Amino acid sequence: MTQEIITVRNTSIVLGEKKILENITCSISAGEFVGIIGPNGAGKSTLLLALRGFVPLAAGEVQLGGRPITTLSDKELARHVAYMQQEVNVGFGYTALEVVLTGRYPYLKWWQHEQAEDKAIAHQYMEFTGVEALADKPVHLMSGGEKQRVLLAKVLAQETPLIFLDEPTASLDLVYQEEIFRYCQLISKQGKTILIVAHDLKLAAKFCSRLLLLAENKMIADGPPEKVITKENLQAAYGLHAAVFMNKVTGNLDIHTYAADDDNPNKDTKVHIICGGGSGERIIRLLYERGYRLTLGVIQPGDADANVAEAFHLPCLLGQPFSSIDEPSAQENRRKISAADWVVLSDLTFGEQNIDNLQAAFMAKKLIVIEDTPIEKRDFLNGQASDLYAKLVEMPQVTVMAFLQFITLLEKN
Amino acid sequence: MLKKTQGNRAKKAWKIMMVLSIVLLGMIVFSISWGTITVPWEDTLAIIGQHVPVISGYFPSVNAEFQAVVWNIRLPRVLVGVLVGAALGVSGAVMQGVFGNPLADPGIIGVSGGASFGAVVAIALGLTSFSIFIMPMFALVGALAAVSATVFLSMSRGKIPVMTLLLSGVAVSMLMGALTSGILTLMNEYRVREYLFWVVGGLDYRRWEHVYLAVGPILIGLIVLCLLARHLNVLVLGEQEARSVGVPVVALRLLLLFVAAATTAMAVCVSGTIGFVGLIVPHIMRIIVGPEHRWLLPSSALAGALFLVFCDTLGRMIFPPNEIRVGIMTALLGAPYFLYLLRKTQQSGGNS
Repeated sequence: MTQEIITVRNTSIVLGEKKILENITCSISAGEFVGIIGPNGAGKSTLLLALRGFVPLAAGEVQLGGRPITTLSDKELARHVAYMQQEVNVGFGYTALEVVLTGRYPYLKWWQHEQAEDKAIAHQYMEFTGVEALADKPVHLMSGGEKQRVLLAKVLAQETPLIFLDEPTASLDLVYQEEIFRYCQLISKQGKTILIVAHDLKLAAKFCSRLLLLAENKMIADGPPEKVITKENLQAAYGLHAAVFMNKVTGNLDIHTYAADDDNPNKDTKVHIICGGGSGERIIRLLYERGYRLTLGVIQPGDADANVAEAFHLPCLLGQPFSSIDEPSAQENRRKISAADWVVLSDLTFGEQNIDNLQAAFMAKKLIVIEDTPIEKRDFLNGQASDLYAKLVEMPQVTVMAFLQFITLLEKN
Repeated sequence: MLKKTQGNRAKKAWKIMMVLSIVLLGMIVFSISWGTITVPWEDTLAIIGQHVPVISGYFPSVNAEFQAVVWNIRLPRVLVGVLVGAALGVSGAVMQGVFGNPLADPGIIGVSGGASFGAVVAIALGLTSFSIFIMPMFALVGALAAVSATVFLSMSRGKIPVMTLLLSGVAVSMLMGALTSGILTLMNEYRVREYLFWVVGGLDYRRWEHVYLAVGPILIGLIVLCLLARHLNVLVLGEQEARSVGVPVVALRLLLLFVAAATTAMAVCVSGTIGFVGLIVPHIMRIIVGPEHRWLLPSSALAGALFLVFCDTLGRMIFPPNEIRVGIMTALLGAPYFLYLLRKTQQSGGNS
């Protein structure tokens, strides 16, 4: 049974005349690694500030560990939550150790100096984030990555059950961005709860256990990354046309974004693509981004083209692995081909398993054949495919062109 | 090994403070001994020693003229210098910390403007002849009123944004300046001279009364500020940083501002306005001992005292028997050095 550590009830925040957040409700349990995502101006940082009690609530309630945030004193809050802000300017030449030691402030009486124990804690966390060797170096002379790790050590030295990070990776190189997330993941595995405002959706999806998606002052999604980062949510939050898919190479959630006209003229044009073996990837992407209604077939499961189709959530006829196209698939393929306004036959290789695709192509009302490699080199059936292909390209409804010509043709439309 | 280097920094700060104390004592003895009437330094020590209870009997007697010069004229002057220098040095360091800006100075939030206005009111009313305490008291009230006005003007919804505070400070200072000028144009020439004498800070004619007036408030101010040094360290990292570790930012900032302003105002009361000490001394000490305020504040106190006594002594030595007032000396020495520092910082691109 996990313990509920943050409770947010119907919370609204108004700054000046402007409504920043409306009716936010969520509860976060100990040990979660929560990413707060959303477009600029959605109120991500404000939410984090409100949960720390830095901005007043216009309505609703925030509880930390079951106690309303308004009943906690400054120091009590600082013993509950460590907060790392976006841009910290460490002036005057303070050293890393001096900065990290300020994390011990909530535990000291006003007249006390840092004790040996506090120093040991500071050193321990600097070791954890790999900046122990820089203890006596002035922070303003450090690189962005070093500085963020020093600040992370400071936040950890506060030894709070909750850690809030407001875009800690904003000004960092790619390597350091991922490093910060990895440290956070490690910390959350030790039972601490982390809330991070993140810009990079892919990193947030990769490392966080849960995401909160904010847009236009509201929380529009809350849940595990694969439930939150969806085509529909991204469209709603960012107005972004995107395909969300599992990247087969990295094993992570990946996002492919593209520009598309909202009133797209092609949405009623049905196009069927006959492809396989990666020959269709470029064609699928090109047509998908232009908003055509696509169908694909027949492709072997696990084929590169099948993965692209899956990424874009396209209806795709899949055959049986390592066997010829079966009768039901062949029938369905022909139905789709006849129904399509036009059909594209990619530059694919023909063998025993997929020769039926070439047969089916004859059914097309209008057929575009992409040919970058001569059919002879793609024929693994000792001329059978070449003969059929030769017959096909003779048909009046067929146009043969190279891929580049195909692009030009689409540009013109 | 790393903990050792951290210890080294503390050790270094101790060493610097020891050296500063010794040099300051030497400077005090030299400053008391040197003048139109030169007193041998052992006589100086003997005269001072005779006034210390318990050990007074161990010192040989010195002639009455030396006694009068050392005890009644030069010692109070030097002591006022020490107090004023320490007050200005520490207040400057604190202000720079509160504003997070190495160019801040107590004058920036209206302390000097308010003190001058208070002084000119006292002179205009002709109250200064009643007691030497009248003008300092008016100056103190003026300074605190000006700082209060600045803080009140910049406070909005329980917060004091630093930028607004600086701008309010400028506005209040200008208003005080205008009022001061307005009163000055209505006064007769004798009183204008009296004011001028005060506004160009100096240590001449300082008596034991001035020491008694200033010693309590300034020492209390210095002790309070030094006790708050660790909190100031956190505050310097920025408002948000400070709040996130539980610092009561507004209360701490107000406390530091008022204590530093009151301490400065006390200094201004007994010496007139003296520039550049609060700017240069913390700047140099930050380079030498680092930004940690627990070291920076005490060493700024020692260095401020040393710098002011040094400037005063130098001012007396250049055209004897005439003196260059200490406020002019600090500016003459301070301004070029400060410009040099600024250029150097610009060239290296650092922000120390």
